[in-house]
Amino acid sequence: MEISVIGNSQVNFGKINVGFCSFSKNLNRKIYNSKNYPKTSNFCQGQNMVWHAKSSSGVTLKASNIRAEAALTSEKASKITRTRPIDAVKLYVGLPLDTVSNSATINNARAIAVGLKALKLLGVDGVELPVWWGIAEKQAMGKYDWTCYLALAEMVRKTGLKLHISLCFHASNEPKIRLPKWVSQIGESQPDIYFADRAGQPYKDCLSLSVDDLPVLDGKTPIEVYMGFFESFKSSFSAFMGSTITGISIGLGPDGELRYPSQRQSVKDSSQLGAGEFQCYDKNMLTNLKQHAETLGNPLWGLGGPHDTPGYDQSPNSNGFFADGGSWETPYGDFFLSWYSSQLVSHGDRILSRAAETFKDVSVSVSGKVPLMYSWYRTRSHPSELTAGVYNTVNRDGYEAITEIFSRNSCNIILPGMDLSDDHQPNESRSSPELLLAQIMSSCRKHGVEVSGQNSLVSGGPKVMEQIKKNLLEENAVDLFTYQRMGAYFFSPDNFPSFTQFVRNLKQLNLHSDDLPQKDDETADSLPDMDLHRQVA
Amino acid sequence: MPTAAIPPLHRHPHPHCHRHRHGDSHRTAHLNSSKARPFYLNYTRSPSMIFNVACVPGSRHLKPAKDLPLLASSTTDTAIVEISESSDVVFSETFQLKRPEKVEGKITIRLENGKDDEIWQLTVGCSLPGKWILHWGVNYIDDVGSEWNQPPPDMRPPGSIPIKDYAIETPLEKSLASLEGESIYEVKIDFNTNSSIAAINFVLKDEETGSWYQHRGRDFKVPLIDCLQDDGNIVGAKKGLGLWLGPLRQIFNMLLKPEAANSKEDIVKLSLQKRGLQGFYEEQAIVKETLVDNSVVVSVRHGLETAKNLLYIETDLPGDVIVHWGICKDESKAWEFPSEPYPPETSRFKDKALQTLLERKDSGHGSSGSFILDEGFVAFVFVLKLNENTWLNFHGNDFFIPLSSFSVPAIHSGQTHSVDEGQHKESRSLLISGNTSEANQEVSACTDEIINDIRNLVTDISSEKSRETKSRKAQQSILQEIEKLAAEAYSIFRSFIPNFTETDLSEDEALEPPRDTSDSVLHSPINWVHEALSTPSVKISSGTGSGFEILCQGFNWESHKSGKWYIELREKALKLASLGFTVIWLPPPTDSVSPEGYMPRDLYNLNSRYGNIDELKILVKELHEVGVRVLGDVVLNHRCAQYKNQNGVWNIFGGHLNWDDRAVVADDPHFQGRGNKSSGDNFHAAPNIDHSQEFVRKDIKEWLHWLREEIGYDGWRLDFARGFWGGYVKDYLEASEPHFAVGEYWDSLRYTYDEMDHNQDGHRQRIIDWINATNGTAGAFDVTTKGILHSALGRCEYWRLSDEKGKPPGVVGWWPSRAVTFIENHDTGSTQGHWRFPGGKEIQGYAYILTHPGTPSVFYDHIFSEYQFEIATLISIRNRNKIHCRSTVSCGCFHHRVFYLSS
Repeated sequence: MEISVIGNSQVNFGKINVGFCSFSKNLNRKIYNSKNYPKTSNFCQGQNMVWHAKSSSGVTLKASNIRAEAALTSEKASKITRTRPIDAVKLYVGLPLDTVSNSATINNARAIAVGLKALKLLGVDGVELPVWWGIAEKQAMGKYDWTCYLALAEMVRKTGLKLHISLCFHASNEPKIRLPKWVSQIGESQPDIYFADRAGQPYKDCLSLSVDDLPVLDGKTPIEVYMGFFESFKSSFSAFMGSTITGISIGLGPDGELRYPSQRQSVKDSSQLGAGEFQCYDKNMLTNLKQHAETLGNPLWGLGGPHDTPGYDQSPNSNGFFADGGSWETPYGDFFLSWYSSQLVSHGDRILSRAAETFKDVSVSVSGKVPLMYSWYRTRSHPSELTAGVYNTVNRDGYEAITEIFSRNSCNIILPGMDLSDDHQPNESRSSPELLLAQIMSSCRKHGVEVSGQNSLVSGGPKVMEQIKKNLLEENAVDLFTYQRMGAYFFSPDNFPSFTQFVRNLKQLNLHSDDLPQKDDETADSLPDMDLHRQVA
Repeated sequence: MPTAAIPPLHRHPHPHCHRHRHGDSHRTAHLNSSKARPFYLNYTRSPSMIFNVACVPGSRHLKPAKDLPLLASSTTDTAIVEISESSDVVFSETFQLKRPEKVEGKITIRLENGKDDEIWQLTVGCSLPGKWILHWGVNYIDDVGSEWNQPPPDMRPPGSIPIKDYAIETPLEKSLASLEGESIYEVKIDFNTNSSIAAINFVLKDEETGSWYQHRGRDFKVPLIDCLQDDGNIVGAKKGLGLWLGPLRQIFNMLLKPEAANSKEDIVKLSLQKRGLQGFYEEQAIVKETLVDNSVVVSVRHGLETAKNLLYIETDLPGDVIVHWGICKDESKAWEFPSEPYPPETSRFKDKALQTLLERKDSGHGSSGSFILDEGFVAFVFVLKLNENTWLNFHGNDFFIPLSSFSVPAIHSGQTHSVDEGQHKESRSLLISGNTSEANQEVSACTDEIINDIRNLVTDISSEKSRETKSRKAQQSILQEIEKLAAEAYSIFRSFIPNFTETDLSEDEALEPPRDTSDSVLHSPINWVHEALSTPSVKISSGTGSGFEILCQGFNWESHKSGKWYIELREKALKLASLGFTVIWLPPPTDSVSPEGYMPRDLYNLNSRYGNIDELKILVKELHEVGVRVLGDVVLNHRCAQYKNQNGVWNIFGGHLNWDDRAVVADDPHFQGRGNKSSGDNFHAAPNIDHSQEFVRKDIKEWLHWLREEIGYDGWRLDFARGFWGGYVKDYLEASEPHFAVGEYWDSLRYTYDEMDHNQDGHRQRIIDWINATNGTAGAFDVTTKGILHSALGRCEYWRLSDEKGKPPGVVGWWPSRAVTFIENHDTGSTQGHWRFPGGKEIQGYAYILTHPGTPSVFYDHIFSEYQFEIATLISIRNRNKIHCRSTVSCGCFHHRVFYLSS
């Protein structure tokens, strides 16, 4: 028997050795193993814990005389070893990004209504609807307009589908959806509410994480504004919560992902060469960095970002920072990267904890999106991940800290790139979406964080569907997959048949023999020797 | 068993067929089969015919498709209606059947001496009826590849049609000398043994069914020279000459020693060898499968006195017909036995069913049988068995004949029925009453109904449970409904794409400043050209030019023949400029294995069959002097090797760019490349270049740069752009900064039953996708528009000239600034004619493209023909009206224009 238990960082927990128990306080490491241990054992320190190992379904933990928090851990622990039946992968399809237009009308309402019906007939579980800050809170701060979104939720409910809401606090280029006008007006006069790169170029598609708690929005902090948005959304959609609406994902940065806008090119995939740039050059980030360096007694390290990083379109090896043995491996590199990534993690924690708090009394799952910065993954320094704010290198697992905040806030992780295969990556960028995906997934498993998958590219086709299927079949991998995204291409004769096939395959994996072309079925129908059940039926 | 292999030689017109001659996708196949094996035939047919045990529902009770899911109840409903009409015949229905029928016959191949020693005759015959076509070609003695060639004209029997440039199709004629009453279809091919023909290859095609008949999955091959002396090892096992599938290619390679190639003596020697030619006669068995229409009529009468049902089955199926049947006692549809007695010739089949042999009719045509059934049964269910392997059923289900209507008290049945109806109504009204959303109401009521009727089904359409218990038919109708909905959603969403184009136009492209639109000022074309070139505001290096380009394709498929094309073209430069052309596309300039230039070898060697590098430079200079920009035809997808690797495979390059096999894609086994997989389609005749290799890209960029600097090319025509990812093209174009670039992305349009679909959005989307991948740095030939013009003008189907949004239906309707419209080029027309524009309609075609947005391209053959004046007129009209590649068009007026200008 092998039992693994996950605790959380606020909990004191027992470490079990053979015939010997002791408590140790550990805020970071959370995995304990007990091997060949009797089902019941007594802990020292006068506290009794009873273990019930329930076959394969996991571990239940009963604690008496122990702080209430410990009981929480049992829930998480039970997730770990549960083997999820494959047909339990729920399938959602994303609605078009511009479902609700800038002028607050529903685009292509009829097409969406028809499309919803098609999805329902196909056996898809639900749809994902992006709800934009720039549309719902367009007019003025605190003035929300949910009309169109409510109408859409009603349409979805009528069709009998579930709904996953994505709250988007970023802007989109294609289609063009901006931040609320009143926000961009503030940005005109105070460009420091945006991220900036080394050249000082602001990134105007979302707010910098450095202003999270600064009252830059007419006296309110962005976090307060986001909270207001959550609250208003929750009360407006209370009729749908828990029934039609099953989940909400919270925008955490550019494209909703928990990262820095390290890649600035408009077409991200065609220029894979560069690894992006650090985005620590807005005023508040720099102040923060300076303070941090001074605290650590190295004020010279806080004067700016690293000087030897390559530009957006330069190969990461073209300059010193990311090269093997480069600055990233020095104490300075560690200082900078730790700070840079911890800023991002704290930002994620700030927003997720507020969201989890807001939605704790309605039964919806809360999730956030983690980026899949897969280019240059096969190098030692993982430069694309570093610039995006994930301190993940050959020496260090940067996803631990991230999955931990999701675990702490009981949030799910949304992972894009389930459709990406290593085979189709340009050779020179040394990328590996598959390996990175595996790393993040394993971290999620370790922390008991549920994963929802998404595809990254629009282009479908049988090969892509195969890749997605492969990822979904991994044991315990994903409990929900959202196919992105409905639109002309989605329903086109080039894509829709393979999507249909994909859905059917996904839903009948165990029926492989029955999954054959119709030709065989018909032969079987008429051959009495084989089986008459169809005639009987 | 049938296989669905279709010989690669017969696709729809394909852009690069001419190159197949040099390449060899069959090479390995031929090498493997050097040993003589027993003959057998592969029967090939189109995949759509595989499901031949299909049935068509009875004509009398055709019900709306929406009722299909209501299986049992709907049939019962029908029966009830019947009662009111007739109190005697309770049920009668005719089911149409499609029965597969196999006919065996033979193919005969006879080689014999004709009138004299030199004239021999090959006779291919077939004993089965059908529209037989012999699809054939020959190998010549000095052929390098194993691809077919067209036979010399004097060898072609009357009625032969050339297929592309390598094959002939000759119909088989009903032979006068019919054998033993059965008719023989045959064709005779006479040939002279002194000709240099080495072998005749053929396959047989039945035009009625579209089936191909091959020999062991490959071509029939009749060798005409005795190769034993030349290559005893390879064909040593063979004695004499027969029909064999030989590795002729190898042998001919041997013959083709440099010193012997093509010399007179050689041919004499070979014809001496041919004296060994022996006649032979071979027969091959052939099985043709066809679908024969039959029907089965089932009627049920109620005997008033006996209180029994009399069920009568009658069919025109030939031979013994066994009814495999049972009855249903309740609504569960389980098969059960009725009580005895059974009809004569009935046996039990295991514990599950009864089998009754129908009685042959006296006329000998068809059979029938009666079944007397006690009342109280709900239904009679059956399938038909013709022989051990052939069973006929109804759409994958049993034939279901309801009996209950009369035996079950009518009131009861009516009640069940009304209850059902009531439920339906109730749920429907629920759905409608809840249907407040405007959009929802618009959706067809049919859909709502289906959603209701099958709510349970769809929750898990294909879970194991539902598959067992729910009928396949219901699932089929759900899938059809899904397809219908998807199509509707698609058509609405798709209409948003032009919007994208428009925003793209307004935001990202530097349009010419608006000009005076009055027609009063007439520029002469030549002046206008200079004006356009000298306009400083025009942004160069976008790869899409100024927007006012008019292209001329400056060569055809024969241009290499004279060896001095560059010189000849110089004389025409001024003429071209004065006609109004601003850009000329020159043939591929590099050293090439094929004279036309599309099999490049040493990229830096610009001495080609069109002329040498100096002549090219002078031509480019003179074209520039008259204000015409020059596009170089660059073949980046593939490149011919100069050396062999250690395995004897040609994949090591020579010349200045002496790449090794890392520059060759890995997924074409012919060339054993060590690069990555191809990022596009493979072109099988030559090693495909792996553009994912950085050194390859670096070299290509340098080369393009060199061409720009050294020769003075202003832009590119990119050959076979399907072969590699458009993102690499973007890379190349950004590095070489062409004034104009256009890619050849050519694949087949969409056809349904040989009829071109009206909607070619899928086709143009693929081209748009490629342009997108290049980031819009290049345009692409608008193959979609050419295809649509074929049908629209060739068949006067002018309705094709507008898509559903009232836009032009080709690429030009979606992304005009990137569409290069054309009606013909060196592949489609010229002496190749792979996809020739409808004859006599060329000027209508030019009227269309020259009055529409997009960048028009005019083919050399048309410019220097009797059409020159009309083309010049159309170009001046375009210029006078300042039509450019981003002009807007509305379809109302372009119908008018086509008619007007063509009159």
